[in-house]
Amino acid sequence: MGAHLVRRYLGDSSVEPDPLRMPTFPPDYGFPERKQREMVATQQEMSDAQLTLQQRDYCAHYLIRLLKCKRDSFPNFLACKHEQHDWNYCEHLDYVMRMKEYERERRLLLRKKRREKREAEVAKGQGPGEVAPEVAL
Amino acid sequence: MAAARPGVLGVRWLQRAGRNVVPLGARTASHMSKDMLPGRYPKTPEERAAAAKKYNMRVEDYEPYPDDGMGYGDYPKLPDRSQHERDPWYDWDHPDLRLNWGEPMHWDLDMYIRNRVDTSPTPVSWNVMCKQLFGFVAFMIFMFWVGEKYPSYQPVCRHQFSYNLGFLSALG
Repeated sequence: MGAHLVRRYLGDSSVEPDPLRMPTFPPDYGFPERKQREMVATQQEMSDAQLTLQQRDYCAHYLIRLLKCKRDSFPNFLACKHEQHDWNYCEHLDYVMRMKEYERERRLLLRKKRREKREAEVAKGQGPGEVAPEVAL
Repeated sequence: MAAARPGVLGVRWLQRAGRNVVPLGARTASHMSKDMLPGRYPKTPEERAAAAKKYNMRVEDYEPYPDDGMGYGDYPKLPDRSQHERDPWYDWDHPDLRLNWGEPMHWDLDMYIRNRVDTSPTPVSWNVMCKQLFGFVAFMIFMFWVGEKYPSYQPVCRHQFSYNLGFLSALG
């Protein structure tokens, strides 16, 4: 917690992802079958549910179900545990995906740096030579 | 002319009523005589001694305001200390004003009463207070600037939204 900040501000900032300039690599770089995420809730449904802009993400359909359940079960504020859990889990998976994206960006930056370094060394004539294909240079 | 007659009668009645209450030339206990009021700036030592006696002060304590045309006359120049600094436990004649009967009042006594200006000494000096306050404010401004320049964030990529309001859109 905070190690990425130390690495970015006090260490080498060229291999740490800048959150304002993410992502710098194409999203399907290394994943040829990767497709864009599909929205389940339509724009019209989100508008009708009067969701705030911050709530109109890829878990909005669970949120709409939760809000409807809350409104129907008032004044029992302890109901809707199932819908609440569904929405929370969807948001959790979304957050995990964000963490993974960050880590992917970081590893790709490291890889890019290694490659540049190797090319510089090869250009100077001090390269290490051929290595096994498993080595991820 | 018709309205003048009752007016004249009213004035004559008032004069007679006033004369019945306080005859001309009589003195009441609340009036000050001319020699008890403040006078001109004292120039000779005798005038200074008379002025000090008038104000119930010792001659060596008496110091008038400088004669620079501001109109103080012979009124004494007392130290600029507010009534807050006087002993709260002493048995004053006027406990609220912390003043005794006959004591010379400060020129700005109405400012130095306990509801108003307070000249009590502070626990630390003015310089120390200024340094502490401005030091703290400068430190806070510096830290806010550091936070702006080097923001702290979670190691996640941005939250992805999908909305289209025409003028504002975050699709994809």
